[in-house]
Amino acid sequence: MPDEDFHLSDQELVLAADGELDVGRAAHVRAHLAACWDCRARMAKIEDTIADFARAYRQSHDSKIPPIEGPRALLKAQMAELAAASNVGSWMRFFQFTPLTRAAVCICLALFVAISGDLLVRHSRARGKNSAASAIEPGAIPDRNLTPGVARAVSIGDVCSMAHEEVVREVPASLRQEIFQEYGLQASRAGDYEIDYLIAPGLGGAEDIHNLWPQPYTSRAWNARVKDALEEHLHQLVCAGRVDLPTAQRDIARDWIAAYKKYFHTDRPLALRSELFPFVRVSG
Amino acid sequence: MRVPLTDSISDLLFPATTAPAASAQPSEVECQVLRLFEQFRNPLLRYVVSFGVPVHEAEEITQEVFLSLFRHLQLGRSRKNLCGWLFRVAHNLALKRRYANQRSHDATASDWAIAERHADPSLNPEEQVSFIQKQQRLLAVLNSLPEEDQCCLRLRAEGLRYREIAALLGISLGAVSMSLTRSLARLIRADGR
Repeated sequence: MPDEDFHLSDQELVLAADGELDVGRAAHVRAHLAACWDCRARMAKIEDTIADFARAYRQSHDSKIPPIEGPRALLKAQMAELAAASNVGSWMRFFQFTPLTRAAVCICLALFVAISGDLLVRHSRARGKNSAASAIEPGAIPDRNLTPGVARAVSIGDVCSMAHEEVVREVPASLRQEIFQEYGLQASRAGDYEIDYLIAPGLGGAEDIHNLWPQPYTSRAWNARVKDALEEHLHQLVCAGRVDLPTAQRDIARDWIAAYKKYFHTDRPLALRSELFPFVRVSG
Repeated sequence: MRVPLTDSISDLLFPATTAPAASAQPSEVECQVLRLFEQFRNPLLRYVVSFGVPVHEAEEITQEVFLSLFRHLQLGRSRKNLCGWLFRVAHNLALKRRYANQRSHDATASDWAIAERHADPSLNPEEQVSFIQKQQRLLAVLNSLPEEDQCCLRLRAEGLRYREIAALLGISLGAVSMSLTRSLARLIRADGR
């Protein structure tokens, strides 16, 4: 029995309806439909169902959609802001100043650095004495020699379009063991630690032994959950164009706790800072 | 012709002809993004909302998608298949937002309510009831499908081709074809055809 005598399958009819068949097969389907009432009736059902579904799907959502004018204006303004920031952001613009202005700016900057540095040192000392709650416990920060942080070559688009599974991916068991060995920890204590990325995958961090370290769950203040909040926040800032990706990677790799303080404008984990969050468990 | 002498390094680095002009006119990239926004904003918003993300959050996601596109184009990256690119970014952001919200997807009730409110006014009362019931049946089938099948059907309804859907969902062309065939069969059965 030749092939053209068989009825067409549902899949073939759907492919034909969607124009997804190759030229030869499409011609065969057309010829068969011209000759076969059964298949033509089935094709009509498929076409009608597609039309009904498309209409139902659109009508169910279109009424919820606000007019486009406002969002369009917002997008236009945000793009203009981003474009202006990228034009003016370059430090090379400094050279556009006149020599006198450049000298004045240099003096002001030097004074500002000296004063703010002094204030920072004093503030750090004072904080070191007074802030037991936000003290940094052993293991909260990785050994820089073992875990300096490694990033992949990714663009902002790549990072911002990552699937959730990629952002929160698990570290393979073999790599976990290597990390425990590297940090001189016993495998039997694996349950006390989370193997955490220094530069998070959501910021382009690599699955590399030099970007992973065992972070103890027992840290009361600066623990893995606090770091997760920083990673999420930084990811949003990067994707909103408010922080550039290399800066975010550098800051979190250099000292994630300092980065947390910088980007959350706080000197201690937010959940610790206030009694407004009584249900948030900060300790591990 | 004498070339005027420059007295500062800035003149060398930023000659007047190449210095960026402070203009309110949108750049070519901005114009292109705005054109794409007009074309794809509603389909993307519909798609994100279909994940159970509230409309105002879906609007934020859509803005994020187009700002990412702006940066993508500004960096001179590929302009090939921007429609697929937009849906891919929107898909990932919608999944992420849904996960963050930890909300269950319960679109069925709202879809039904909307369907009731938006019956075709040209129909008589009996036809309207029939029309609404059909919409309800079809949307109920959609919401009962496995997530991957729902995504395939919604993306196809938004006009994406099989290869674009396959790339976006990370599945094969054959899997897209099978999924759509399976879903349409269920829709046909539900409609009693």
